[in-house]
Amino acid sequence: MEPLIRVEGLCKDYRLVDRREGVSGGLKDLVRPRRRLLRAVDDVSFTIEPGEMVGYIGANGAGKSTTIKMLTGILTPSAGTVEVGGLVPWRQRQQYTRHIGVVFGQRTQLWWDLAVVESFRLLKKIYEVDDATYERQMALFDELLETGKLLSQPVRKLSLGQRMRCDLAAALLHRPRVLFLDEPTIGLDVVAKENIRGFLRDIRQRDGVTVILTTHDLGDIEQLCRRVIIIDQGRVHFDGELADLRRRVGQTVSLSVELREPAGSDELAAATGALPVAWEAASGLRHVARFNRAEVRAAEVIRLVVNDRQVQDLHLAEQPIEHVVREIYRQAAAGGGA
Amino acid sequence: MDAGTTRFAAAGARPLPARLAWQARIFGAYFVQFLKMRLAYRMDFLVDTLAVGFSLLIQLAVLGVLFGKVSALDGWNFPQVLFIYGFSLVPLGLFNLVSVNLYGFADEYLIGGRFDRVLLRPVGSLAQVIFESFNVSGLNEILLGLAVMVHAGRELGWKLGAGFGVQDLMVLAVLAPGAALVYLGVFLALTTVSFWFEDKMGLAPPVYNLIRFSRYPITIYSLPVRVFLTFVLPFAWVAFYPAAWFVGGPHLAKVALLTPLVGAVVFGGAVLLWRRGVRNYVSTGS
Ligand SMILES: Nc1ncnc2c1ncn2[C@@H]1O[C@H](COP(=O)(O)OP(=O)(O)OP(=O)(O)O)[C@@H](O)[C@H]1O
Ligand SMILES: [Mg+2]
Repeated sequence: MEPLIRVEGLCKDYRLVDRREGVSGGLKDLVRPRRRLLRAVDDVSFTIEPGEMVGYIGANGAGKSTTIKMLTGILTPSAGTVEVGGLVPWRQRQQYTRHIGVVFGQRTQLWWDLAVVESFRLLKKIYEVDDATYERQMALFDELLETGKLLSQPVRKLSLGQRMRCDLAAALLHRPRVLFLDEPTIGLDVVAKENIRGFLRDIRQRDGVTVILTTHDLGDIEQLCRRVIIIDQGRVHFDGELADLRRRVGQTVSLSVELREPAGSDELAAATGALPVAWEAASGLRHVARFNRAEVRAAEVIRLVVNDRQVQDLHLAEQPIEHVVREIYRQAAAGGGA
Repeated sequence: MDAGTTRFAAAGARPLPARLAWQARIFGAYFVQFLKMRLAYRMDFLVDTLAVGFSLLIQLAVLGVLFGKVSALDGWNFPQVLFIYGFSLVPLGLFNLVSVNLYGFADEYLIGGRFDRVLLRPVGSLAQVIFESFNVSGLNEILLGLAVMVHAGRELGWKLGAGFGVQDLMVLAVLAPGAALVYLGVFLALTTVSFWFEDKMGLAPPVYNLIRFSRYPITIYSLPVRVFLTFVLPFAWVAFYPAAWFVGGPHLAKVALLTPLVGAVVFGGAVLLWRRGVRNYVSTGS
């Protein structure tokens, strides 16, 4: 199938003025400002198929929001091309924005002083949503996001989580084909995050909407996205399936063992003998073994331990995605790159 | 659209009348929203109205005092000058009605990043900014201007049908918005500058102060000033030239009809500048 989103050689430079200190510095700035260019997004390319849900992640300042702003037509790229559904966002902005929904977690897209329902009515007019669709969408949002109770409040009186739910609903009112989410779970508590994730899963199943989301909460990624794109200092460092990412960094797993009687980690190490397994004492009777699944089979480690000791409990865990991503950043910083 | 297509609906498929009707509906809705919000702050509205009305009355009084001493101004008699003054208030009122958001544009939209939201909607960005807020006191100026013109007309001995025909009314209905476009174009161009320069103050306030020179017959000024007000900062077109249709000689009356054209050129140029500015928009870092 033809990709829905096509990004090629995308770059964005910001013009910065370095300010000097003090009065004399201010004067100097006036006469000859010190300018420089900051390349926030650097030669980014990717394609996204219809119906995909892609996590776009990276450290603070990596260029995520800048990319999203170019994909949504807010910013004009310094170089490169973007095409979504055959349209160029910044050039055909008015037609394009009819087909997309956008949520910036940091800032609401609703009218600050208006009651939520007034914002929705305005959006209904702007996007020419017919009455039946409007009613259906509002019922859906109330069912999944419980927006019904919030409708009469002005946006500025909503809590962060309530506002985010309304923003999501507003972004989806006109049933867009593509949804751009820039940190949709920022600042939310665990329950609210779960709600939003559940909602996104639902909506994607219902409408087959294509989603790009940025986040610092890798829980979002693990629960929602099969594919991730990692950027660092404006450049793509990884683009592929989450499972691949794990494999690439090394599939380190940890086996936590609780013994019946106390023992030293070195004794356990002796039990697993020649296998490349690192043992570490955790707390009390618990010990943790770390090893690479590609080299050592978990069953083998378990067999050796159980043969050697009286074991009360066992727990095998994948390395959390945080570690995986941190490892990618580390490799990028070390110049290992992609 | 079925899930298989990866192309969005064709561009601009809609006929122009349908597009215009849609735009009119949206801006109507914006206006209703605005009124609803305004009504929540009734006192403000009252105070605004009083303040503007009061300041205009003072300006009129000054004019009266001035003409108490000199009965004519370089060949223009008092009622004629009063008519020009009254006319100037109508385009100014129209302009003030829609221009509030231009003054605060850098602060409200650019620095705060509120312009992101504007760009995410399938409506022209300039139209959204202009129609998102209204300055209702502009209506006062329009009403006062009309009243002053009626009064001046009486002094000039006009009656409807004699000295002032239906044709004149129609010309007024075209020239006043045309002149308002001149204002809008000039201040839009000045606003657009903030897409390139961060400085908040801008040139708008000093230029706004120059408007008052446009309320007198420009023939009282020296040639360089006249050229400046006609071609460089075309404020002669917001009052004097269009009003000359009514109070000037036959030659000036023809010039007056150029007003909508000048308005279209100035405003059109400013819109082009705006479009370039939008491409230069950088949003905010967070
Ligand atoms: N409007 C702007 N003007 C100047 N520089 C900017 C602007 N917006 C972003 N930048 C710079 O561009 C770089 C990328 O910023 P961006 O906001 O895209 O990062 P991000 O990945 O979204 O970060 P975060 O996770 O903190 O939101 C940063 O160095 C930032 O300082
Ligand atoms: Mg960001």
